[in-house]
Amino acid sequence: MAQILKVRPTKIELVKLKRRLKLSQRVQKIVKDRLSILTMEFLQAARDTVKAKQEAVDAVAAAYRAVTVASGYHGYVALQKELAASEADISVMAGPRSVAGVKIPSLELHEPAGGLRGYNLAQTSSLVDNASDAAREALRAIIELAELQRGLELLGMEINRTKRITNALEYIVIPNVQATIRFLQMKFEERDREEKARLKRVKVLLARQESS
Amino acid sequence: MLEDNTKSRYDTFLEAYLSNEFRLVNSSLPRNRRRLSELLIEDQPSVLCADGSQQLFKRAELQYLERILDEEERRELLLPIIIEMSGDGTESVVLCSSNAELKVLSDVLEMELSYERPGRVRLYRPQLSVLRRRLRTTTQYAFSARVIA
Repeated sequence: MAQILKVRPTKIELVKLKRRLKLSQRVQKIVKDRLSILTMEFLQAARDTVKAKQEAVDAVAAAYRAVTVASGYHGYVALQKELAASEADISVMAGPRSVAGVKIPSLELHEPAGGLRGYNLAQTSSLVDNASDAAREALRAIIELAELQRGLELLGMEINRTKRITNALEYIVIPNVQATIRFLQMKFEERDREEKARLKRVKVLLARQESS
Repeated sequence: MLEDNTKSRYDTFLEAYLSNEFRLVNSSLPRNRRRLSELLIEDQPSVLCADGSQQLFKRAELQYLERILDEEERRELLLPIIIEMSGDGTESVVLCSSNAELKVLSDVLEMELSYERPGRVRLYRPQLSVLRRRLRTTTQYAFSARVIA
């Protein structure tokens, strides 16, 4: 039930309350709009995450398979020796992207131009190339999944927060202000009626005095 | 009947908070939109947002845009593409500064689109979902309290 706020029954307060009601209704419109966008993005992110997770699992499985085949062909020790020099730091380009005011990380695997593999192409077979490509693909899928999952978490938290704001505006703030405005308007009308009744009474008394 | 609530500090807090909500939702709008042709030659293509943060563009998205646009259109296309949301949230309008945006939208949605009014293309919710899925970092929402006419 809407509660009446404790305000002085003056016209200025009524104007202030009307202004506050207008502001609250505008914000409610924006927040509801934002909530629907966030929900849409959340559902989209959820669908993409499921897809990306499956892709990551497939890519990692394919990478392991390719490495197993390559090590079977070259021998584990020989392959390890060959690949020791090709180890390199991963470069991931990271930055925020914003979805309706929510900062979500944006991650992208940075691939150096030229695409040198770092191992001797003459002494290794195409199986190593395949394993290298599969590993890179798995890395890309994992980075994509990380971005989507973090985005999903952040969007979920923001949806909760926005829902609380929408509910507070819809069920507490706006009804309370509306009830107070109604209360003040009734009070002013009552004052007017009292004033009229008083004037009528004075008029009757004056008329009586004149007649006597 | 009268409840000991509100006034002074509560009022001030509420009004400040509500006003901040407006700022928050539009905080990620770019200060200046940038041309695709400029972004393509940068190592870390990004744009400065209204709140001072940087928004990165994904290279894959930029490369996709590069593929579908010719040289002239790459110079015309300003990024990010702004999507203005309507009051009821069911429709949105993409603000187009050139025909390049229209071409991009038509290509992403795989349908012919036309201007509703000069510089404005109306999109519906399912189309918006498709557009955002394809162009995550190169599109940006703008919230407006007024309902689109």
